[in-house]
Amino acid sequence: MKNEIAIDAKNTAPKTKVSRKEKRRSRSLDVQKSRMGWLFVAPFLIGFLLIYLPMIVESIRFSFGEISIQPGGGYVLLDAGWSNYSYALSTDPQFTTTLIGSLTDLAFDVPAIVIFSLFMAVLLNQKMRGRAIFRAIFFIPVIVSTGIIESIDNANITAQNMEQMAGGGGSDLEGANSGAQILSVMDLTSLFRGMQIGAGIVEYVVSLVNNVYNIVNKSGVQMLIFLAGLQSISPAIYESCHIDGASSWETFWKITFPMISPMILVNTIYTVIDSFTSQSNRMMAYLNTLNESSSLKNADVITTAMSWMYFLVVILVLAIVAGVFSAYVFYQRKDV
Amino acid sequence: MDTSAMTKQELKEYKKQLKREEAIRKIKSQEKTPFLMRLRYKYLTMYFAKKVLWSLFRFVLLVGISYIVLFPYISKVASSFMSKEDFTNVKVLLIAMNPTLDTYEAIISDNKYFEALFNSTILSLLCAISQTLICAIVGYGFAKFKFRFKKLLFVCVILTMIVPHETIQLSLFMKFRYFDIWGIYGGIQHLIENLGAIFSHPEGVSAGYEVLENAFVDVGVSDPGFFKVLFSHPTTVHSMGNMLNSYWPFAILSLTGLAIKNGLFIYIMRQYFNGVPDELEEAAYVDGAGTIKTFGKIILPMALPMMVTIFMFSFSWQWSDTFYTSLFFTNQKTAILLPNIVNIPSSLDTDFVAKETYEAAIRNTCGIMILIPLVVIYMFAQRTLIEGVERSGITG
Repeated sequence: MKNEIAIDAKNTAPKTKVSRKEKRRSRSLDVQKSRMGWLFVAPFLIGFLLIYLPMIVESIRFSFGEISIQPGGGYVLLDAGWSNYSYALSTDPQFTTTLIGSLTDLAFDVPAIVIFSLFMAVLLNQKMRGRAIFRAIFFIPVIVSTGIIESIDNANITAQNMEQMAGGGGSDLEGANSGAQILSVMDLTSLFRGMQIGAGIVEYVVSLVNNVYNIVNKSGVQMLIFLAGLQSISPAIYESCHIDGASSWETFWKITFPMISPMILVNTIYTVIDSFTSQSNRMMAYLNTLNESSSLKNADVITTAMSWMYFLVVILVLAIVAGVFSAYVFYQRKDV
Repeated sequence: MDTSAMTKQELKEYKKQLKREEAIRKIKSQEKTPFLMRLRYKYLTMYFAKKVLWSLFRFVLLVGISYIVLFPYISKVASSFMSKEDFTNVKVLLIAMNPTLDTYEAIISDNKYFEALFNSTILSLLCAISQTLICAIVGYGFAKFKFRFKKLLFVCVILTMIVPHETIQLSLFMKFRYFDIWGIYGGIQHLIENLGAIFSHPEGVSAGYEVLENAFVDVGVSDPGFFKVLFSHPTTVHSMGNMLNSYWPFAILSLTGLAIKNGLFIYIMRQYFNGVPDELEEAAYVDGAGTIKTFGKIILPMALPMMVTIFMFSFSWQWSDTFYTSLFFTNQKTAILLPNIVNIPSSLDTDFVAKETYEAAIRNTCGIMILIPLVVIYMFAQRTLIEGVERSGITG
């Protein structure tokens, strides 16, 4: 670039004055625009550099250390090397099993949530009477079923379990939350046995049906994202398909599915992140109990170390998922 | 009659006309199929049957899933009206035999419901408004401007989304317990202290140095050099103050786009602004508006449905959040928030046969009382909310 300008200046002396001026002006406009860009993202940038990044760094330091609070205010961080990590991996009885357990949960839940939310979005996108009401009902979990309600449900389940362990009979009312009351598991199992498909699939389906409440609850945002994607597909494409005589089944697989595939990627990633970071996750629950229990010395730093390992696993899973999926994703506009 | 008076020509024409009329009548009568026939054609086709069956199937399915979504709440609401006797009564499943409002009254009076409601409303409103604005601004910056490191910065946004809470839980706590920015304040404080120790010591600099050396040996650093003493990273952290039990942590996190799921909000806003045509802003620029004026007067009003969506999300997630509130409000006496009201009121005697069920019902009632304001807001905002998301055109 610079060379070109220099040559330009040598060759045509009188003309360059104008062009250079123009160039400078246009460049300054660019600079101005990029400055405005910095201004607009400044809140996040400042927050990230001043608050978030130090927190991350500190968190990594904590995971290699040991904290003791000073009586006069302030705290001292002692170097502990890899001891927290080695404790988590080798001494702690439950860490590795919980990690593997939460990974398998993920492998079961994510496809179910994504497929279910896609199905529901396609259904809710059709024109019908009472659509607004159904939509309003399906998005209630997005607003309502977070944080506090989840923890209340958990508290109830723990209380119930304790009661049952103590020998008291549980009551029916509590079972209302599980899918078991909604659909009788036994019937379903025998139905699938009759169909003579693999036992693994039967178990998977049964566990899905048992979990249907959780799945519905967790797929609210995903449904919204799919709906947004479905709305952005031009109706003209469907019309021409219809004229050419495609059935709705064909239309779904040849038009809707490829057009929505970027959204499937986004939703898969979102679901992975969401279930990894949600409080109902097995790993998160375990870390919480560790933090709250007083039996473990240095629980705070050990859980930090554990969650860093957990985070690395998350990143690995995300990278694999994104890598595999993006090979199959269809983009209508290549430039986006 | 007249016909006889007509000429031959006229008669011919008259007959022609009659014929024509008859033909028209015939065609018309042919066209008009009988009513039953028409019904048959309309409703007894495969197409119609398919349509009806499908919509029936769809309706049943949707109702079923709505039931799954709503049933837990229905059962919670139902059990909240039950009196103590109803829990031991086998006949009672959903509808109470002796409905009371005792549970509600006890929660309101014993658990300081209204105080918590007030505090939570203020906190959630402040958080939601600031988060909505900040995320819109940052999203706009990411969508419409070109600058260096934009992609890297956006990866950082994604990063804030991916890192689980628990990972930074401890450092979040420490950050706001001993608030400081990059340890600068602490460093200065440390430097001043060191210098003070050196110069205020009666026997001069060398003695002060000794004092320091001893201090550092105590902390675990052996034989530090003089400069190392002055400029070493402090092992004891000083801070600007304790921010726990105040709204400051929430304000700081909200204003910098780091609070709950703000990465997602920034992402959604960016996608929305990506879909806004550039010509709109160019027109504004041509008319002489600056970037900020364009944003405030044209872009923001246009993005209102989207911002309502973000507002709803952040408001309700902040409203029912337990992670940050329990982390930052360690002392419930200073500020009682809604998540804190979930416990068994002391005025209710729960010690009887169906204790577990009764306590669960009380906890659920607390949950319902927390949710009521949210549900009311949701009813008003749901149309805008769903339309907003639909219009966002989120793409991968």
